[in-house]
Amino acid sequence: MFFIAWRHLLKERTRLALTLVGVTFAVVLMFFDVGAYLGFVRASSVLIDHANADIWVTRENNRNFDSSRPFPERKLWKVRQVRGVARAEPVAKGWAQMKLNNGSTETVMLVGLDPDAGLGLPWKLGEGALRSLRTDNTIIVDESSLAKLGGVAVGDAVEVVDTTVTVVGICEDVKSFTTYPIIFANYETAKRLSGVYRLSGADQTTFILVSVDPSESVEAVVSRLRAIEGIDVYARDEFSRRTRDYWIVQTGMGVGFGLTALLGFLVGMVIVGQTIYSSTIEHLREYGTLKAIGATGREIVALIAYQAVVYAVLGYLVGVAIAMSARQGYESLGLKLVTTPGMGVGMFVVTVAMCLGASIVSVRRALRVDPALVFRG
Amino acid sequence: MEVTAVGGVDLAVRPGSVVVLMGPSGSGKTTLLSMLGCLLRPTRGEVRILGRPVVWQEPAVSLVRRRYLGFVFQHYNLLSALTAAENVMVALRFRGVRDEARQARALLERVGLGARWNFLPRDLSGGEKQRVAIARAIAGNPPVILADEPTGNLDSASGRAVTGMLKECAVRDHRAVVIVSHDARIVEFADEVYFLEDGWLRAGPAAPGEARDALALPGSADLAAEKRTSLH
Repeated sequence: MFFIAWRHLLKERTRLALTLVGVTFAVVLMFFDVGAYLGFVRASSVLIDHANADIWVTRENNRNFDSSRPFPERKLWKVRQVRGVARAEPVAKGWAQMKLNNGSTETVMLVGLDPDAGLGLPWKLGEGALRSLRTDNTIIVDESSLAKLGGVAVGDAVEVVDTTVTVVGICEDVKSFTTYPIIFANYETAKRLSGVYRLSGADQTTFILVSVDPSESVEAVVSRLRAIEGIDVYARDEFSRRTRDYWIVQTGMGVGFGLTALLGFLVGMVIVGQTIYSSTIEHLREYGTLKAIGATGREIVALIAYQAVVYAVLGYLVGVAIAMSARQGYESLGLKLVTTPGMGVGMFVVTVAMCLGASIVSVRRALRVDPALVFRG
Repeated sequence: MEVTAVGGVDLAVRPGSVVVLMGPSGSGKTTLLSMLGCLLRPTRGEVRILGRPVVWQEPAVSLVRRRYLGFVFQHYNLLSALTAAENVMVALRFRGVRDEARQARALLERVGLGARWNFLPRDLSGGEKQRVAIARAIAGNPPVILADEPTGNLDSASGRAVTGMLKECAVRDHRAVVIVSHDARIVEFADEVYFLEDGWLRAGPAAPGEARDALALPGSADLAAEKRTSLH
């Protein structure tokens, strides 16, 4: 049956081309939508996912990274005393205004940490060294923010909240979900520059990152830490998921991306469905002939399904090729497009399902053909 | 309102013979042929092929059509996207024949279209299309050939050639061939001729072969029967 399906498609090349345009459009749309979605989702928890910490401790009732507020630093000592805690380090998160060379200002997210604590932040340095942060009033900037920050380079001095700081390194892959530049500094510098610590006091911190002793289970240590009052304790994966959920669900972002992907799916389905249906109607007599000479219902279904699958495979390949070619242009806008083998497989399955789903009406029509039709004029 | 399209048929077609069914428009010829071809289930009576009654359920009935029946249609009904050889190959595949490409070429040689095996239907004349249809009908060697107005769209020379081929299919390959036609010239190739009028089958007085009395009873049809069987 496949060779009949293939010949049908090749016979009507204009129809094939138009259908492929439709499937390709749908694939590109879904590819960019899902890729951008994954990029945003990953960006929302990028610091949590890369930090060398099994457990994140936050202020009580702080349910995600982005809405975290400072809490008393003295909790750090209590955390360190809990059995199973191998290491606990404070991390400060705050916001500040950076004055750019052109005179304008840019809001930046400051992440303060001990550069010698082995927290794994930042995890990929393009220029400079992490140990340079030992010096006060030094910062590391992510490359994705360089343009936004007026093209700063290593060695440049910039002004953050009336304080002159020096850029000592450029890191990579630390792209913020909110598009605010993420700046790394040592713990004290970050707290001094952040407005929130000026208000709440220097004896505050935002997170305590805990590494668990290898002989202990993370769940057990989390449970023990939860006995400390005034803090929330999350295993890394849970905190990462909560942070992602916050952006996906509570901001409605997930619904927006989902609707766009659905739109692409429906557009592809309508185009393929319309094409296959019109082709089926045109060839109804031939389906009747096939049934008359012995084709079973299953073989008629296979004949139409093969056509749908060919549309899907060709449309997918062309769509992915276009999307990958356009990816660089997309990312030059400062946006992240995530593509993974799993996403590729998932998109292929969705594309095949889209085309097969679109052929259901045609299949029903072809199956209903009365084979005695072949005797009519 | 209930209409009886075919009411009294008791017909047996022997292997090696050509039976022609004639009759005016609306007499029930096509309905009878559809029933003989297992494309239309009779409300009463039965169809037997090689003495076995047809089971009117899928996929059994599809398998009956595939194994035992070859069709030749007035409008050829070739698959437009396939070449002449591929049209024949489809039937060969349905009938489980291996080496179908070579066999298809051989069948097209037999009907005089060996040189046009890779022509699409649109590039063939009416007579050539009908010869491809005959090659498709005999592909895989089914014991019964059913032809609906096979010369209806052909000029006299092509019609004569096509009818000759159908006769050859019956005699040479020992097949039962049933032809429905308005074309009186076909009668000379027939072993038996029947007239259908208002759904009732009567033996044709002009039949050159062994004419039979029409049975004016609801009955049965037995294709390729070695011996005529009466079922009621």
